[in-house]
Amino acid sequence: MNPALLSLLTPLATAILMLLCRSRAAVWTIAASLLSLVAAIAALYQVTTDGSQLIHLGGWESPLAIRFRVTALSALLLAFTALIHLLVGLYAARSRHSQTRNTDYWPLSCFLHASLASLWLSTDLFNWYVILELLGLTAVALVSLAGTKAHRAAFNYLLLSLAASLCYLLGVALLYGRYGVLDSLLLADMLEADHTTRTALLVITLGLMLKAALWPLHLWLPPAHAGAPTAVSALLSALVVKGPLFVLWMLWSQVAPVELGRQAGPAMAAAGVAALVSAGWSACRTPHIKTLVAYSTVAQLGYALLALGMLLRWGVRELHVALWLFVFAHGLAKASMFLAAGEMQSTLGSKKVSALRGATQTVPVAMFAFAVAGGSLIGLPPSGGFLAKWVLLQPLLLEPSHWPWALGVLLGTLASAAYVFRVIALSFDRAPPPRPDYNPDPVAQWLTLLPALLVWGMALGGETLILWMSGVAY
Amino acid sequence: MVSWTWLLPLAIILSSLIPGLLIFSLKERQEKLRTFLNLTGALVKMALVGVMLYGVSNGVEFRFSLPFLPGGGLLLKGDALSLQFVSLSSVLWLATTVYAIGYLEDSPLRSRFFGYFSLCVSATVGLALAGNLVTFLLFYELLTLATFPLVVHRGTKAALRAGRVYLVYTLAGGAVLLMGVVLLHTEAGTPDFVPGGYLSGMDSEGNFSSTVISGLAGERDFTLTVAFVLLVAGLGVKAALIPLHGWLPQAMVAPAPVSALLHAVAVVKAGVFGLVRVVYDVYGIESVRELHLNQPLLWLAAATIIYGSVRALEQRELKKRLAYSTVSQVSYIALGVALAGPLAATGALAHLVHQGLMKVTLFYCAGNFAETLGVHRIEGMNGIGRRMPLTMAAFTLGALGMIGVPPLAGFISKWYLGLGALEVGQDWVLLILVASALLNAAYFLPLIYRGWFAAPPDEWPEDKRWPALHPLLGETHWMLLLPALFTAVLSLLAGLLAGLDISPLAWGQLIVEREFAP
Repeated sequence: MNPALLSLLTPLATAILMLLCRSRAAVWTIAASLLSLVAAIAALYQVTTDGSQLIHLGGWESPLAIRFRVTALSALLLAFTALIHLLVGLYAARSRHSQTRNTDYWPLSCFLHASLASLWLSTDLFNWYVILELLGLTAVALVSLAGTKAHRAAFNYLLLSLAASLCYLLGVALLYGRYGVLDSLLLADMLEADHTTRTALLVITLGLMLKAALWPLHLWLPPAHAGAPTAVSALLSALVVKGPLFVLWMLWSQVAPVELGRQAGPAMAAAGVAALVSAGWSACRTPHIKTLVAYSTVAQLGYALLALGMLLRWGVRELHVALWLFVFAHGLAKASMFLAAGEMQSTLGSKKVSALRGATQTVPVAMFAFAVAGGSLIGLPPSGGFLAKWVLLQPLLLEPSHWPWALGVLLGTLASAAYVFRVIALSFDRAPPPRPDYNPDPVAQWLTLLPALLVWGMALGGETLILWMSGVAY
Repeated sequence: MVSWTWLLPLAIILSSLIPGLLIFSLKERQEKLRTFLNLTGALVKMALVGVMLYGVSNGVEFRFSLPFLPGGGLLLKGDALSLQFVSLSSVLWLATTVYAIGYLEDSPLRSRFFGYFSLCVSATVGLALAGNLVTFLLFYELLTLATFPLVVHRGTKAALRAGRVYLVYTLAGGAVLLMGVVLLHTEAGTPDFVPGGYLSGMDSEGNFSSTVISGLAGERDFTLTVAFVLLVAGLGVKAALIPLHGWLPQAMVAPAPVSALLHAVAVVKAGVFGLVRVVYDVYGIESVRELHLNQPLLWLAAATIIYGSVRALEQRELKKRLAYSTVSQVSYIALGVALAGPLAATGALAHLVHQGLMKVTLFYCAGNFAETLGVHRIEGMNGIGRRMPLTMAAFTLGALGMIGVPPLAGFISKWYLGLGALEVGQDWVLLILVASALLNAAYFLPLIYRGWFAAPPDEWPEDKRWPALHPLLGETHWMLLLPALFTAVLSLLAGLLAGLDISPLAWGQLIVEREFAP
């Protein structure tokens, strides 16, 4: 079997089996994500040696068939998804505080993994609709695991997700009416910059931006991500918002006519800068730990949006690399940050940022994880976030006329430094005497550190990674 | 071909990094083990630096590189300039470690303190050994991160506020520096630092040749100028050039060993060392002159010298006065760099070490006064020389050196700076030097007068921390006294023996010969 398909089917099969038999769900999930990771790496190896490949499901020929395409990027995304799922799974299995023991977390997270995997592999607009719908429903179900207090956020999330899907579907219908195909690879050669196409792209973009919580359509994200169980928050921020982003990127950089992209690019980039600044500001103001981390997700997605906008405007190849490096670095860092935030919040028994006073003494390892992950979000060398920023800044600084956008990156850096160090500065204060139920779990804290160490480890292979990503086809 | 030379730069960094990481894992009460790790690290580092000094003066090249970014690897390289800084920081690290062990005796959170203390020194030597701008940037940011916990170590309101101010300044500076580095990278890549500057030998295509295509030169000059401004702004934060100096006087709420480290070895020096690197080894004197950038830098340095001295005069708190004095004294180095002549450069490089030795002495002494007798303000220094004669003697040596009294170290630097100014025809700089020397005298001499000649209070407060001390060296704990005496003697020797081959001055001359070689 094709290793990419194996990477997709392993979590799917596990999820279905777990619906029948619940015993040892954690072990099965971890094993499945590990197998999926290995398969994804095999797929990655295959793609680098043989080049991209198309898989026809059910043996039909296009345009009727459902086609999967394995490219270097999709294989990398498969591996990334499996890796995050594995790391979060390890934490969820161990920690007393993850609110995920013996619940529906395990099958749902496997479903989530499988839907994301099929998203990376699909090329068909309608397929994407179905998958996005599945992804949204799974995510809402996961959020509501936190109990009744999260139901309101979950419900809002559900409504907005459905509205976004409808927007997306409307655009897809318009495109189908105009061109008669839904496969993005076929559409790429056909699209013209006419009125219908513009309208279709606009509604699709709005729908996807709402789903990916891109500024200014991000307001649903902080309550949903902050209210979810800790492990779920990590999965949502690290992975789920990247799904619609991927579709947006495919649509604009591969399918949409170049001149439309050139027009839309600056608007997207401006939205990206606005996200960096305004969500960064909100993260500095919010009184709650997990809401701070959630706002940071909105802000960091601004980097991706900035890279995408500039990519459409100038068509510089390096910006593909920058965008996806941001996605990988953010995914790892944010997983670590959410897990650390959740672990600290539960150990210290308060959701307030002010409860982190003296956290370097009471929950040292988790606080260290938060700081290390934060360093990558700020983009301090030598972290994954720094690699991404380095690649992003090069084209921005190449021409004096592009320099104002580099100022946007500078502002984003300062904003992220502000909210990360807001927490760090507090944690170096003297700790108040611990509460009577204070009972830290060092192993769980170390597990929160693992993804953050990996994101700093990205720097070790930085040169290879950047050169490889610049060389592959997008 | 010797095969072990690549290991040495890495080993110098690891000799403090590994003890630092081990110390983090220690329990608070494992005092002996912690002290052992600290001192072993410091001594091993000194030995390794000694080997490297011997090697570099015999022309051996020490190079360690790892791939990191396309066109900009992680490169550690031991050259003459980096060794000037590495030797200073490794010697002073040993002294400051001893001092800090005595100073922090029985205080809370010492494992955390010494852990970050070691990280801070690792970042400093890494920054000194950095062989290109990317590596320099990396350690520059790590230094910010490692020093923040030290600044806020006391956990008081004032300490936390100072820590926040410190972060705002240094992180913004780091971000601006990053912009400058990337801008330069898009223009010319990130080659190794080259004596004489890698930009001087490059044309607008980025090729090394002497023919410059005039059409593109205008835009290239503009880019290079902007990059220079960004780099200087980023480095100027740590180097405390006005108007970017605001964090330094606030940061003096940190414990005395931290202040000593910040002012003499690590942070401020890192900024000004970066300036030296950028002007000499990235742009090169030629390019800086062609772009007309040295003159504004010169004015900025001169203004900082005068401003710092005037503000120091106003301070009634001893450590604050010393802090503003640092603002002024460190700019001597920037001044020497901006004068862009060989003699001034010699003076600047010698002052890099001299200022470190003198300022560290002064901060040790200020810490001794505060810890032993609770004296924080200048008024409290009346007659303190009778109660603590050795500390006061060390203080006097440091202060006289700062003023520039021959034959102390400060005199040597100022002499060369003055000669250098005359050499390049910037005679007005002499006026700045004289004015600054007068101002230095105006804020240091009263302290010396008070210490030795003013009438002491009727009774000194009981020494609570160390009631039973050695009768001969009994004015304070020996771990506080010895480092102060040691560095005071070093600063005396650096001046007296400036003609020897091993003096900071001679080493500065060696660097300058290489930088200004045709």
